[in-house]
Amino acid sequence: MGIKQAILGLLADGPVHGYDLKAEFEDQLVPTTKLNFGQVYTTLDRMKRDGLVGQEVISQTERPDKKVYALTNAGRKELEEWLTGPTTLDLDLRNETFLKLMVARRVDWADPKRVLAVERRACLARLHEMTQARTKAERDSAPVQTMLLLELALLRLEAFAKWLERCEEVLSQEDAE
Amino acid sequence: MTGNDKSAVEVLGLTKVFGTGDTRVEAICGIDLKITEGEFVAVMGPSGSGKSTLLHLIGGLDEPTSGHIVVGGDDFSSLDDDALTMLRRRRIGFVFQAFNLITVLTAEENVALPLVLDGMDEAEAQRRARAALERTGLTDRGSHLPAELSGGEQQRVAVSRSLVNEPLLLLADEPTGNLDSATSDQIMSLLRRLVNDQGQTILMVTHNARHAAMADRIITLRDGRIVEQQSLKNGRSADQVLADLESAL
Repeated sequence: MGIKQAILGLLADGPVHGYDLKAEFEDQLVPTTKLNFGQVYTTLDRMKRDGLVGQEVISQTERPDKKVYALTNAGRKELEEWLTGPTTLDLDLRNETFLKLMVARRVDWADPKRVLAVERRACLARLHEMTQARTKAERDSAPVQTMLLLELALLRLEAFAKWLERCEEVLSQEDAE
Repeated sequence: MTGNDKSAVEVLGLTKVFGTGDTRVEAICGIDLKITEGEFVAVMGPSGSGKSTLLHLIGGLDEPTSGHIVVGGDDFSSLDDDALTMLRRRRIGFVFQAFNLITVLTAEENVALPLVLDGMDEAEAQRRARAALERTGLTDRGSHLPAELSGGEQQRVAVSRSLVNEPLLLLADEPTGNLDSATSDQIMSLLRRLVNDQGQTILMVTHNARHAAMADRIITLRDGRIVEQQSLKNGRSADQVLADLESAL
């Protein structure tokens, strides 16, 4: 996950305290992910070194002065480029199931069809869990962020199930020839 | 199994052959199957695997070549045509891909129709139709004609109609086949709720893995035979899955 980009986004509307960045990330951006303070401060240090953020001190009358982080011009430019440009799509083609299928085709005692059947069962079991989670999230009026993430997970599993079906069709045709 | 283990459906040694000689096709080749009351079972398989034929046989819409089908304790083979028609009308509900609503009747009249045809007093039929519409969240749509409803609403009317007899068994053949994905999800959630909240028994045919995965059990057919059965119970809880999404990111 791009913690750096998330921080750039959270600082876009004005300076924020390091402590609040964690809470805002979890409340407003990715509710299913918990950051630890170490990650936040390590990233902030690196961003400071790279000139993307600066630190300001806000003096407070009744409490100690507060250190907040703010975007530099370079940080603002980096956020703008990231938000307006395309993300490199990770197609995850180094897929372990694919490798297993190819190995099963070479090992004489292994059965590629059996590999597909086992993977399909596992995929359907996960789909079931994910649909249950979605039903629960819906009932609990979960935030839109959670619903959209669940949808991404569901569609990926669905695509995987379709790919397994496709593999089976192709292997069956190969058997028939 | 939830609640009890009473069987809603028992199928034994079921076969169905279409045609003879060169055109002879064995659509169902010896299927044994038991569905418990309150269970949600999905049937998957490539086209031509016998999914819809199986559903039609269990619904009494088609006659098997051999074997037994028992629904709610009644063996089809021991019933004459009239008794089978009665059983189909009173104990089995059907939902198809096409909504099959009568265009000149309102939603409520469509839902009440099976009861009226069965000779029920009209006021009582209306009362039950309204209750069935309420079960699918359509309380305020009763007076609308099908053309005035969205696809999802029309399918919910069809589901209400299938439930109006309070059937022991609901049979659904690609119930989301004519709907976009968001509306399909709504219909699937509705079916799932009927099982969870009211103990409805459902047997559903689908080619969609995501929809099949909402059932309690998936049966996969190939060439008229059950080649795979998978219980989906005993997975991780919804809370656990939501918590685990964290680590997936």
